[in-house]
Amino acid sequence: MKDLLRALTNVFWRMPPAFWVTMKHMFKKPVTLDYPRKKAAMAPRYRGRHYLERYDDGTERCVCCGLCAAACPADAIYMEPEENEKGERQARVYEINLLRCIFCGFCEEACPEEAIFLGREYEFSDNNRNSFIYSKEQMLVPHPRKPNPFKRIIRRVRRTYGVPEQNS
Amino acid sequence: MGTEKSTGTKVFSLSGHIKRPGNYEVELGFNLKKLIYDPEYGGGILNDKKLKGVIPGGASTPLLTEDMIDVGLDYEALVDAGSMLGSGAVIVFHEETCIVWVMLKLIHFFRHESCGKCTPCRQGTAWLEQLIHRIEQGNGKPGDIEKIDDICGNILGRTICPLGDAAVMPIQSAIKLYRDEWDYHIVHKKCLVKSDFAF
Amino acid sequence: MAEVAKKEGSTSRDTKTVTLTIDGRSVTVPKGTTVLEAALSVGVQIPTFCWHPKLKSIGACRMCYVEIEKMPKLQVSCATEAADGMIVHTDSDLVKRGRRAVLEFILLNHPLDCPTCDKGGDCDLQNLTFAHGYDDSRFDFQKRRFIEDGVESTFDDLRIGPEIILNRNRCIHCYKCVRANKEAFGEYDLGAFERGNVTEINAAPGQQVDNPFSGNLVEICPVGALTNTDWRYKIRVWLTQTVASVCPYTSSGSNILFFKEKHQNRVYRVTGRRNDDIDDGWLPDITRYGYQIIHSEDRLRTPLIKKEGNQETATWDEALAVIEKRLGEIKDKKGCVCIGGLIDPSLDNATLHSFSKLIRRTLGSNNVDFRIDYRMLPKTSSDNYSILTSRPFRIADIDNSDVIITFGSDLLKEHPNEYLRIRKACNFHDSRVFSLNPYAVKSADVAELELVYGIGADEAIIAALCLAGVEEKLVSIPNPDQLKEATGFALMTEAAAVCGVEPDQIKIVARALAKARKVTLIAGELVTRSRDRENIASALCNLNRVFGIEEKGQIAVLSRYANSMGARKLGVLPDPPAVVKSELTKLWGGWPDTEPRNTDSMLVNMKKEEINGLIVMGADPIMLYPDREFACEGLEKLDFLIVCDLFESETTALADVVLPICSWAEYPGEYVNLEGRVQQANQAIKPLYESRPGYEIVELIADRLGQKLFESDEVRRIEIEKLLEVDNGLSWPDSFVNTGWTNEEHDDEFTVPLAVGDDPHHCGHRTEKASSLVNFCGEAYIEISPGLAANYQIEEGDSVRVESPVGKIIVPVRISDFLDNDVVFIPRNFSSTPVTSLLMRKCRVDRVKISKVVS
Repeated sequence: MKDLLRALTNVFWRMPPAFWVTMKHMFKKPVTLDYPRKKAAMAPRYRGRHYLERYDDGTERCVCCGLCAAACPADAIYMEPEENEKGERQARVYEINLLRCIFCGFCEEACPEEAIFLGREYEFSDNNRNSFIYSKEQMLVPHPRKPNPFKRIIRRVRRTYGVPEQNS
Repeated sequence: MGTEKSTGTKVFSLSGHIKRPGNYEVELGFNLKKLIYDPEYGGGILNDKKLKGVIPGGASTPLLTEDMIDVGLDYEALVDAGSMLGSGAVIVFHEETCIVWVMLKLIHFFRHESCGKCTPCRQGTAWLEQLIHRIEQGNGKPGDIEKIDDICGNILGRTICPLGDAAVMPIQSAIKLYRDEWDYHIVHKKCLVKSDFAF
Repeated sequence: MAEVAKKEGSTSRDTKTVTLTIDGRSVTVPKGTTVLEAALSVGVQIPTFCWHPKLKSIGACRMCYVEIEKMPKLQVSCATEAADGMIVHTDSDLVKRGRRAVLEFILLNHPLDCPTCDKGGDCDLQNLTFAHGYDDSRFDFQKRRFIEDGVESTFDDLRIGPEIILNRNRCIHCYKCVRANKEAFGEYDLGAFERGNVTEINAAPGQQVDNPFSGNLVEICPVGALTNTDWRYKIRVWLTQTVASVCPYTSSGSNILFFKEKHQNRVYRVTGRRNDDIDDGWLPDITRYGYQIIHSEDRLRTPLIKKEGNQETATWDEALAVIEKRLGEIKDKKGCVCIGGLIDPSLDNATLHSFSKLIRRTLGSNNVDFRIDYRMLPKTSSDNYSILTSRPFRIADIDNSDVIITFGSDLLKEHPNEYLRIRKACNFHDSRVFSLNPYAVKSADVAELELVYGIGADEAIIAALCLAGVEEKLVSIPNPDQLKEATGFALMTEAAAVCGVEPDQIKIVARALAKARKVTLIAGELVTRSRDRENIASALCNLNRVFGIEEKGQIAVLSRYANSMGARKLGVLPDPPAVVKSELTKLWGGWPDTEPRNTDSMLVNMKKEEINGLIVMGADPIMLYPDREFACEGLEKLDFLIVCDLFESETTALADVVLPICSWAEYPGEYVNLEGRVQQANQAIKPLYESRPGYEIVELIADRLGQKLFESDEVRRIEIEKLLEVDNGLSWPDSFVNTGWTNEEHDDEFTVPLAVGDDPHHCGHRTEKASSLVNFCGEAYIEISPGLAANYQIEEGDSVRVESPVGKIIVPVRISDFLDNDVVFIPRNFSSTPVTSLLMRKCRVDRVKISKVVS
């Protein structure tokens, strides 16, 4: 009888305070995101996948100067320059090996033409090594960027109200 | 004739705001003030205005202000006064002349005449012209005058031939003697004096 | 510690020296050295833009300021002569401020082109700004831009020549390009126009910058104002490595650097590697752009075997099996004396030596020769011509010769480095130059006198000089009658009349020759290519005897190809001089006792079917031999022909087995230049496709024929070393040699004398595959004097038919600026219009008939 009382006291009187913290958390909203159904927004300066910018008229900004390759601590960038129709310098081959890349952003800092940026995309798994060597065409932003007026308004509204953006 | 060290005569071309411009052959050592004001010679400033400055020896010599013109025109005395005899072309300007405008005219000439062989004169005179032009037009930025002085110091004595020195000596003297005019240009974006001439 | 520095061009007469102190170190230099040169000689680096060791200092950039005590202002060290007791500071505060100021001035208008500029990484302005300049600019105006077609643009890439791109905005006005062009090369196609800030360096109006040294202008430019089309947007220079090598086209062996990338098997460009004894840092365009043949698409990739008339690709084993079988057949049935070998003299020592051993020991005959483009070769190699080709000659000794005579040599086309050296001697040492040629040449523009004598009268003009020396009492010889008998003339005026030169001019040359303290006499290809080379060489021996030229200077016939000197020394001749023969016998333990046969006699025997097998290594006899018909006849009659070459050619088309050989960049080799100097060419890239080095091919063939040529590479190396040390024992003749002179009759139909040589942008038979050199000159042409053109009513660009008794070709016309008599010139490298089809090997002077082609 005494044992029974002790057991009952333990369960209903002593255990709840001990497990209070744990029990409290049962009713709190979990921090865990239901990835991949829900994705967190990355910070604006998050260093993800590279992309190559263009000028407004569509000319590629990259002049294949070699500074990003020289700055890269992982030796992940390879390029070969050529002359385009206007006689200006442009990249014929521009490849970044994303498996070597450490996403430090030195290439973005080194670029004198503001051509290469690290965006916010981090989802690029694949099942063979070769597909991780991204070529220039894979990294160039499309031209013209689809001038969807609604997207612009939505983007501005979102920015005003602090809703994070999904990708670059 | 002449002084002890500078003997003989010289032909001085008197020009500018003067009543009787022309070529005057006088002894070396002749007093500059007399040359300007004496009715036999210069005859005084045009329209009887006040004298502002004199270039005593051609475009490449430092300026003389009104209180410095009581000096003999010979090689030594002018050097003591801070200028040079040069070619003997005495250019006189009265109080309604903008010194910045005068300097702009001079540097434009020197930049055009620069042969282009040595780096300081070739690039420096062009830069000086751009800076002085900007100040004269009223777009000068604070710090421009110090920059001009520094550039002049980088050209003086560093060139193959004296054209570089000739280009910067008047500017350096103008900044030293007429600094308030330059400051006025930068701060107020217009000439200190009312001037009929425009560049 | 006092160090003595040697000034350019000084002789032992400059015994006066001065001692000065530079940065606390005491330096002793010859009088006349500038402070900059004194500082560089002890390793003190002073930055410069406009100074160049081989050009006159102008003091334009003001970068080389130093502070000299007791002198009021900063002094430019490149223009200040060092004086006793000077105390020089190269790194004081005032100097640093001065340098920063100059860099600031230069960068004022210099465009921000570094990302797109080819010079980035290699750029003097970048390096010096990092070392001595400000890190920010105080200039906030718009930079000066040059206008093109009314458009002001920072993108200003003007193509002012086939290989040169000019960007005027980047120019910092050091004037090195115009000074080098004018002083060092003697060309005026690049100039500076306008003055002041808008000085524009550009091509002269209506001209292109296409002189044979134009590539040096790009190398000399400190910034990216002048760039090469060949290097444009290829690769960044910091990704490349350099490999030292030697030029395979010219006989002086200019030192070069290959630029290759670490992981790729590719040569990106060639620049100079300054060697003051040979090239002074200047490279002719052939050397600079000739490397492009290495990566040409037309390279032979695999061995080819001819089956039923078609050439099919095969493996090395198959090809060698065919060689073993067929050569073995000929050897067994007819004997080794029926197999011969021809080798190109621009291959390296190891290949030449192995080839010679293959023919002499494995095949046991004396049918080997390297002289493929010369006619009527002598049987022996101990004649007067061979004496002249082996005289000691130093290129650096041209610098301080008082009198330089070029005889029978179009220097610009044959020996461009020597031409530049002679120009330098004139500029710095005030040498007197005399040029003796049967037609006016461009390289005589430095000459005080150019004696243009009648073609074919070579011996006569030398005789005239000798006789002038005797008659004017400039020299005293014990037996002048013997001289007159030897030359065949009694009076100088007779000889002068035969050559058609004024006697007074000959007297001037003779007087200069006699009174000079140091003389250089260069005899060129005219002597070597002539049918009567022995006669002309004998005349030169007489000249040497009369004036004592070798005692007070140097006299030589210069060899033409990269390793002709090496081939001679290694005995790759049918009948080498006795000393060389005995050394080889000692090394190899025997000598074949067959009749020695040179190229001519081999071809004769091939036609008679007494030689049935031939191995041709690296050469194209059909293209080069001065009688195309004769060469074709011989080669077509062969039973078995093996050709090893870089490209397919007309000779390989006739071959039964074609083997791909490596270019000079793909294996390490040694080359002996015309001075006898041995130079090493290092390996830059691995052999391309399936090609193999020359010596390896020879050893494989020898293996198959049953003999191992050398125990090891070391043995071969030692043998070559021993042979190169041998002095061939040839010395001047003891008395005057009879030369006489011949006046060849020519028929009335073919009257126009033809001179054949190389175009200044081409050499030999391969440079057609270099795209840059083809940009300069892509097709054969005929160069005619204005007078002759007027006679035939021909204008620039017309096509003419050139006919000779044995062939005809059609070529476009170029009116020459130099030729002024009736001699015409056609270059020989172009496979589409082979000029050798016009030549006859037994002629002294080739004559043709020209007629306008009316389209």
